[in-house]
Amino acid sequence: MAPGRRVAVGLLAAGLGFGALATVGIPAFYESFLYMIFSWIALATSWSILSGYAGYFSFGHGAFFGAGMYTTATLTTALGLPFLATLPIAGLLAAALGLGIGAVVFRVKRLRGELFGLLTLAVGFVLATIVLNTRIDGGPGVYLSAVPLPRVLASPTGTLYLLGLALALATVGTAYAVAHSRLGLGLYAIHDDEDVAELKGVPTLSYKLIAFALSAGIAGVAGGIHAMYVSYVTVGETFSITVPLYVVLMSVLGGARHWLGPAVGATMIAASLYAFTGGQQALLGRALVAFILILIVLLLPEGVVPAVLARWRAWRPRSMEVSEPPAALPARAAPAAVLTCEHVWRAFGGIQALRGVSLAVAPGEILGLVGPNGSGKTTLINVISGYYTADRGRVTLGGEALTERTAHEIARLGVGRTYQIPRPFAHFTALDNVALAATFGPGRCPPRQARDEARAWLDFTGLGRRATALPHELNLHERKFLELARALAGAPRVILLDEVLSGLNPAEIASAVRLIQQIRARGVAVLFVEHLMRAVLELSDRVVVLNEGEVIAAGSPHEAMRSERVIEVYLGTTHVA
Amino acid sequence: MWLEVEHLAIAYGDAPAVWDATLRVGPGEVVAVIGPNGAGKSTLVNTIAGLQRSRSGALRFGGVDLCAVPPHLVCRQGIALVPEGRRLFTRMSVEENLEMGGYRGEARRARTATLERVYGLFPILRERRRQLAGSLSGGQQQMVAIGRALMAQPTLLLLDEPSLGLAPAVVDQMFEIIRAINREGVAILLVEQNVVRALEIAARAYVLEEGRVVADGPPAILRQQSRIREAYLGFRDGDVNP
Amino acid sequence: MPSLTLLAQAVVSGVLAGGIYGLLGLGLSLSWGLLRLVNLAHFALALLGAYLTYQLGSAFHVAPWLSALAIVPAFFVLGVGFHAVFTYFRVTELTSLLVTFGVAVILESVIQWFWTADYRRYETAYATASMRVGPVFVPTLEMLACLTAAVLALATWAWLRFTYVGKALRASAEDPAMAAAFGVNHRAQAFLLSGVSAAYAGIAGAFIALISTLAPSQIWAWLGVVFAVVIIGGLGNPIGALLAGLLIGVSESVTMAVVTPAWAPLVSFSVLILILIARPGRV
Repeated sequence: MAPGRRVAVGLLAAGLGFGALATVGIPAFYESFLYMIFSWIALATSWSILSGYAGYFSFGHGAFFGAGMYTTATLTTALGLPFLATLPIAGLLAAALGLGIGAVVFRVKRLRGELFGLLTLAVGFVLATIVLNTRIDGGPGVYLSAVPLPRVLASPTGTLYLLGLALALATVGTAYAVAHSRLGLGLYAIHDDEDVAELKGVPTLSYKLIAFALSAGIAGVAGGIHAMYVSYVTVGETFSITVPLYVVLMSVLGGARHWLGPAVGATMIAASLYAFTGGQQALLGRALVAFILILIVLLLPEGVVPAVLARWRAWRPRSMEVSEPPAALPARAAPAAVLTCEHVWRAFGGIQALRGVSLAVAPGEILGLVGPNGSGKTTLINVISGYYTADRGRVTLGGEALTERTAHEIARLGVGRTYQIPRPFAHFTALDNVALAATFGPGRCPPRQARDEARAWLDFTGLGRRATALPHELNLHERKFLELARALAGAPRVILLDEVLSGLNPAEIASAVRLIQQIRARGVAVLFVEHLMRAVLELSDRVVVLNEGEVIAAGSPHEAMRSERVIEVYLGTTHVA
Repeated sequence: MWLEVEHLAIAYGDAPAVWDATLRVGPGEVVAVIGPNGAGKSTLVNTIAGLQRSRSGALRFGGVDLCAVPPHLVCRQGIALVPEGRRLFTRMSVEENLEMGGYRGEARRARTATLERVYGLFPILRERRRQLAGSLSGGQQQMVAIGRALMAQPTLLLLDEPSLGLAPAVVDQMFEIIRAINREGVAILLVEQNVVRALEIAARAYVLEEGRVVADGPPAILRQQSRIREAYLGFRDGDVNP
Repeated sequence: MPSLTLLAQAVVSGVLAGGIYGLLGLGLSLSWGLLRLVNLAHFALALLGAYLTYQLGSAFHVAPWLSALAIVPAFFVLGVGFHAVFTYFRVTELTSLLVTFGVAVILESVIQWFWTADYRRYETAYATASMRVGPVFVPTLEMLACLTAAVLALATWAWLRFTYVGKALRASAEDPAMAAAFGVNHRAQAFLLSGVSAAYAGIAGAFIALISTLAPSQIWAWLGVVFAVVIIGGLGNPIGALLAGLLIGVSESVTMAVVTPAWAPLVSFSVLILILIARPGRV
């Protein structure tokens, strides 16, 4: 049975099982206990959809939960809406709140990591204050005891139990679906290296917004249900530090990157918290939970579920590596095109890094870009690939302008690049690294096809046998070739190579040179930055020499490197003989 | 005191930067390390100064094995670094930067006298002593970097690309000062991309290419060899056009 | 529109409250700015200091300044110990957030274990003493706290500015490798800084005991405001932390007087959000 099918069946079975439990009738204490666990599962799992998968640790999940609680509280008491109808509204409102915050915050590059955490924490407090001071609450809290609750089962809270169960299962199912979708793939890539993900074609802004909205919406619905459960809603209880901090704990404990991790973490922590009901015991319970969190963060940074899975994989017999016949390399998605730079200018602060640089690379041509330290070579590559914008001038590919586009659009149009220091996605295998580029790159293939294509490119670069290795298990030469394979996935029309040969020994350099020649043979335009002069002379059809942001020579390699100006720049005047 | 580097190999993680470097600097000598970009010159000098750890090989100064010395104690051996790109403490004033150079115990005791000497060498720094180091021009920043290193009272001064990004006139000034420092008995290990400047000032030079020393000797001999041209430009003089 | 006297009183109260914020923010600003570690446990430590002062004072009749003499050095040692654990596990900025959160919860539980969740008030003879400056009342203890905050902020600033250790700390924060090249032992300094930061928490705690009513949940109440203070004042900037504290204290207090008390928290958090979004460069 396909894994997705298995998970769906599992969730259904859990649903039926727990549902039956309630129908049969269990003591109120256990019903409440289970409801709380369901609620936390929904909260923690929804949190991890953005924060666990993409790495944007939000400390404001409580804001969405609170928004949902107060939406239901207000709509049922002030407007008399039926309880069940308020739940989708609560979800939508919370999602809108998430979208609003994300739209502002995600555009600011430096608001990642701990700053994003603090910002979201602040938002929670602001929302609490607003709710407290306006007619939404105003101070005394909101009583929902008079709100009618549709009775499905014998016990009064049975409905809430079932709703909580349904939400928990739906959330876990959603988390699974996202994790195995393109959205999830993109989010995981954002987590490992957002800039590179964008440059490989992942629409980072949209994906973050979608994940945030989804995460917030689910929390909102959970809040709506919880409002009925507590039946007396106050600002202090709703917007306390508990929800934001505990969802982080639970997810980190269980494994924030895994779809089931937060659910496991939530069960563990919620169970231990509510099992100790007495005063002193509750204290001990909390302290113990915190202590476990510290241990997990320090010793098992990926969380419980991944650690268990890793151990389980080590126990299972290793399945034989099936050697498949080498897959065929895909043809290019779009017609071959010329890459041109026209009078590109770019400054940083007071320093002019590029001064009106113009060049062109034709399909099936290798253009060597050389120049002393600080001459602007990497800046030019960054401008072409869209990481920087040009102050003036244009970059075109096949006549289409690249200059006003976002980096991921440029990648989709057929521009691939490598980094001098390889930047593979650390949690992805070699195969998945390349498959991601194939999924989001110019070819835009569905996952199945992407993996086949990835395998083909890995074979091309000689890494076929290392497909299932993680980047940290590869040596430098292999990482550089992985970088190359990833840049080639999706069959770009232009490839920008940034010092691909640095750090390799002569044998590795020879094989890299052969590879690059094969790439040229496929009709790709290659722009190739290198310090290793011998390789430049051997490989390049033409050479452009940059110095202090200006082109000082262009032509065949031997012409360019013998030009007086170039010799002067490299060696000093007396060598010009 | 002699600086002895023997078959040194240095890598970043598993990315090798220097495969095999052997060189020596004698007391009061001026020695240059030249070579193209990416040859490993900065890596080599940073390792001597203690910023990097070497993978294998020997590194000794005055007989002391530098590989066994923790990074913050290397300066006590008498080595001071003027790094590539200057790496000043930009949020501190000129004088504070200089004072930081004289942080180590012995240097600190003599700091007032040394500071006077540094201001004597670079009078413009005395004028701008309270200015934030980050706000100075490139040439002035280079002076602060050299001054900072002098405050450590070194017997061996490591200079990494001091002329980078500076106007020729300023570079002339810089090299005059380097000569003056050398005349006071400080040995100099100079890393330079600019071959002409390096060979003008050095008594001996090593050519580093792709992480290996490929040639060495006094400037007169090196200038005649095509090895340098080959290293920088990729071809020998006798190469025929393809 | 409230009267001038009321406004003046609000400003004074704001300044005094701001002093406490500054005092709490000082240690946090130092460790976050110079060590790149976010310490959520700072608040819990301060509260622990407060409870210890309370205990020594109420049960054993030890004068608060005397208790401080014992607590502050003990906290210094505690800070050094924390840092030893951090370095051993090579904790990063985000991880430190999580780990210190765990420590804060543990400390909160410890506090609640010994002292229960009931409100505690350290009753002293001088608790209600206040001076009159014109029509405005200035409570003496809070005045003292504010003065201490100012003195400490200035002393820290001077320490960072004029002493060799201070300069070494600043240099290390910017470029640890180059600082080491000139003899700065970053590791030893980090321990020192951690200890100092914890000691500051202890001092803040002593004043909190004298001025506020104590309850374990207070740890979280201070959190938001003090983070706002630290970020607005600039990481690693002691005078900045003090001034930001005063700014927030006064704006909160004036908001409370002009509008309603409950809107006060909005001020600090809104300013924090705006600054995070609008300020160029890294915090």
